[in-house]
Amino acid sequence: MFAYIVRRFINLIPTFIGATLLAFLISQLVPGDFLTQRALEPNVRPETIERLRTQFGLDLPWPVQYVRWMGSLVQGDLGLSFSSNQPVTNLIISPIRNSMVLVVMSLVMLYAIAIPVGVFSAVRQYSAADQIVSAVSYFGLAIPNFFFAQVLILSLFVIRSWTRETFGYNDLLLPVAQMTSSDYLDWPWYRQWWDIFVHALMPAFVVATSGIAGFTRVLRAQMIEYLSSDFIRTARAKGLGQRSVTYKHALRPAIIPFVAGIGGILPVLIGGAGLVEIVVSWPGITPTLLEAISRQDIYVVLGLVVITTILLMVGNLISDLLLAVVDPRIRYD
Amino acid sequence: MKRILVALSTVALLSMASAQPFVWPSAWTSADASEVVMGGTFRDYAISDPRTFNPFVSAEQNQVVDLADATTLITQGPDSDEFIPYMAESFEVSEDGLTVTINVRQGMKWSDGEDITADDFYLTYLAETDPEVGSNGYDSWFIAGAPIVGELVDDYTLRFVFPTTDRTALPVLAISPAPDHILGEIYRSGGAEALKAAWGTDADISETVWATAFVPVEYLEGQRVVFERNPYFGEWNVDEQGTALPYMDRYVVQTVESTDAALNLYLAGELDAYSPANLDEVGVVNQAINNGDIDATLLPNVAPVASSQFIVFNWNKASDPFLQSTFRNVKFRQAMSHLVDREAIVELVYGGSASPMWSNVYQVNEFWVNDDVPKFPFDPERAAALLAEIGFGETNANGILVDGDGNELSFTLATNAGNSQREQLVQIFADAAREVGVEVNVEAIDFNLLVDQLLSSGDDRPFDAILIGLTGGSRVWPFGVNVIPCGTNLHMWNTSGSCLSAQETLAEELYFKGRQTLDTDEALQIGYDIQSTLATLQAQVYTVSPLSHYSWLSTVGGEHPDGLINDQLGSRQLPLTFKRD
Repeated sequence: MFAYIVRRFINLIPTFIGATLLAFLISQLVPGDFLTQRALEPNVRPETIERLRTQFGLDLPWPVQYVRWMGSLVQGDLGLSFSSNQPVTNLIISPIRNSMVLVVMSLVMLYAIAIPVGVFSAVRQYSAADQIVSAVSYFGLAIPNFFFAQVLILSLFVIRSWTRETFGYNDLLLPVAQMTSSDYLDWPWYRQWWDIFVHALMPAFVVATSGIAGFTRVLRAQMIEYLSSDFIRTARAKGLGQRSVTYKHALRPAIIPFVAGIGGILPVLIGGAGLVEIVVSWPGITPTLLEAISRQDIYVVLGLVVITTILLMVGNLISDLLLAVVDPRIRYD
Repeated sequence: MKRILVALSTVALLSMASAQPFVWPSAWTSADASEVVMGGTFRDYAISDPRTFNPFVSAEQNQVVDLADATTLITQGPDSDEFIPYMAESFEVSEDGLTVTINVRQGMKWSDGEDITADDFYLTYLAETDPEVGSNGYDSWFIAGAPIVGELVDDYTLRFVFPTTDRTALPVLAISPAPDHILGEIYRSGGAEALKAAWGTDADISETVWATAFVPVEYLEGQRVVFERNPYFGEWNVDEQGTALPYMDRYVVQTVESTDAALNLYLAGELDAYSPANLDEVGVVNQAINNGDIDATLLPNVAPVASSQFIVFNWNKASDPFLQSTFRNVKFRQAMSHLVDREAIVELVYGGSASPMWSNVYQVNEFWVNDDVPKFPFDPERAAALLAEIGFGETNANGILVDGDGNELSFTLATNAGNSQREQLVQIFADAAREVGVEVNVEAIDFNLLVDQLLSSGDDRPFDAILIGLTGGSRVWPFGVNVIPCGTNLHMWNTSGSCLSAQETLAEELYFKGRQTLDTDEALQIGYDIQSTLATLQAQVYTVSPLSHYSWLSTVGGEHPDGLINDQLGSRQLPLTFKRD
């Protein structure tokens, strides 16, 4: 097992170089650079643009830029952001942390909702409740997250109108944007945590919905398969109760693929929650990445690519190792 | 409009004897003194994170110091284009007009209590003129390539020597101080690199110092900057009643990732003001007001935005001599202007919230706009007649106009992909052109690719025609140094390096003459002539200018008086803004 892990780590090096090289190449294929938009300002002289281009090293051939960047990367330096002259590491830590808050919360929601719902619809296959769960699941799979977030925001405004007219209550039930309230820094830590929790509820639910839908469908199919297998019949014949059969004997094997997939969650954790972050103005990775892309602040983009690539590779490794743990048929020695 | 020269001499006569506070004119606010309430918080928003506290770091448009409304040596009020001394007590201009001596106001303090002196402004001058620092302000310290030289005379006196008389020189003196006792020390000991590395957003905010009305006290990356009243600001800033400014205790700038999120926050009552980006958003705000969701003022369609939008034809197309000679023909370009249905664009693209644009000066800049420039309004018949005059009298089997040699009048018009309004605009133009037999192939391409094509130089540039816009420019001389003179990089129709038409040469001459004219009325006349010359030339066929909109909660007071709210002047002065209970 140890030799396998070492071998895998060595194999990661060319993968990593390939991935970063590709990302760098793509960033070079995009027309223009960080300074192109400044060139359209009527009072900026072309020689200034050229001088800044030299200062930023943007005038060098791209292989030279890549090697330079790789050189500092191996020393743990992700480079400087053009737009703020700050180390990329400083700029991306906070968005990564913020995105993780949202993603962890949505994962908790995902498992807390999807497992019972999946089991429920497998046990009550083809019942009216199963049909409703299926319909809602397909709805969740089909609706784009950013749109669903807008719908929920609109709903919150509609509910406010209703509560105002009915009860004279004129506050929104949940915040519609941002991660914290404007008085956040004046509050004690427990109130700060609560504030973030309340702000994260709606976007985390939106992120969880598409996952819940897919997860429920797969778990339902797995459960149905196991519930009709021989060992379950044996368990029932032994006189085990329905609850024990369902949760101890059927759910455990049915959930194996998800356990093995936990490694894949790592990159998802820092991959951010996508466009939902833009809609609710969550200061996570997606807005940072999109802003860096639109400004062509390439080292910020590449910094995020590097972190994602490393986590993806480590995540895959963990997945493979977990498979060996949960499935005795798999051996790496 | 008062004349700059008169202003300078008046200012020169002002008393310099004692430390006097700056009195904020009541003409800058619509509020009556009796309405003013002290205290409270103004909750504003910014679309991107400020990302640095450092005033010199390049290319970051949205610095913390800008959010806090930077204080400057001289300033322009919303009620006049004239520069008035602000952090300067007064300034004197030498007889030859080349040397400006500035007496810095005494009694001003940094937020840590240190005196603000001439050294602090001199540091700004030194850092901005250091190419290694790479500040955004670098280019403003040069006139026609020659540097403006600054000199520190004594603790409260600065002198600037200009290489030539130039009306665009004055705005350069609208500089903000930088704390010499902190950033100056860093710069002197560690050079440009140390200065650039100072005051990033990871800096200890309590170690940063400010001259502004509000000073940042809390910064949450990607979320907000919280400012509190600068206790020293009121010592040298008062209203006409002598009340120390600012009125409010706090100023909070929320960072939002999109205008949609800002609008949602405004509707939720979490922001005090919001500028709707388009008529749809105006409708949403209006409905929220009517529903009683928010109690707010809404000013739709206030004035055109401070930017332009035009079609430019490529005069340097050696690989296609037919198109090159066509694009260089003034009658062709005038015909194209006759094919821009500005009224239809205003109605169909902007829902009525835009106005036709005829001159190269942004319409919001009313003082400078020449309303009497030659206009070539939508008139397909006139367009067809002009095209016939230059040899396009017949159409071929495809219904496309051809010249005597059978060359089809067909070209590609590109604009930036993703800008749906521009994409619609070029389509309306293409449809109108098709009616008279001009084939316009519309193309939406990446913005940077578009800019690369536009800024390419030489005899053969890779585009036919482009729809694009420009922003930036001043209220002192609203003509771009990179646009009008031949051979500059934004002289985008012709980057061959030399003028190809008499009107280009004339516009260039007028441009330099106007810059050297300090008398505003004379400069205005020259500015009018430039606009007429360029309008006749139609090197850039101007289209329409969208209008700006404003809204704020009824609890907010102190906005500019009517007529002084627009994209250039903003809607309020932060120190004069107050919150009603």
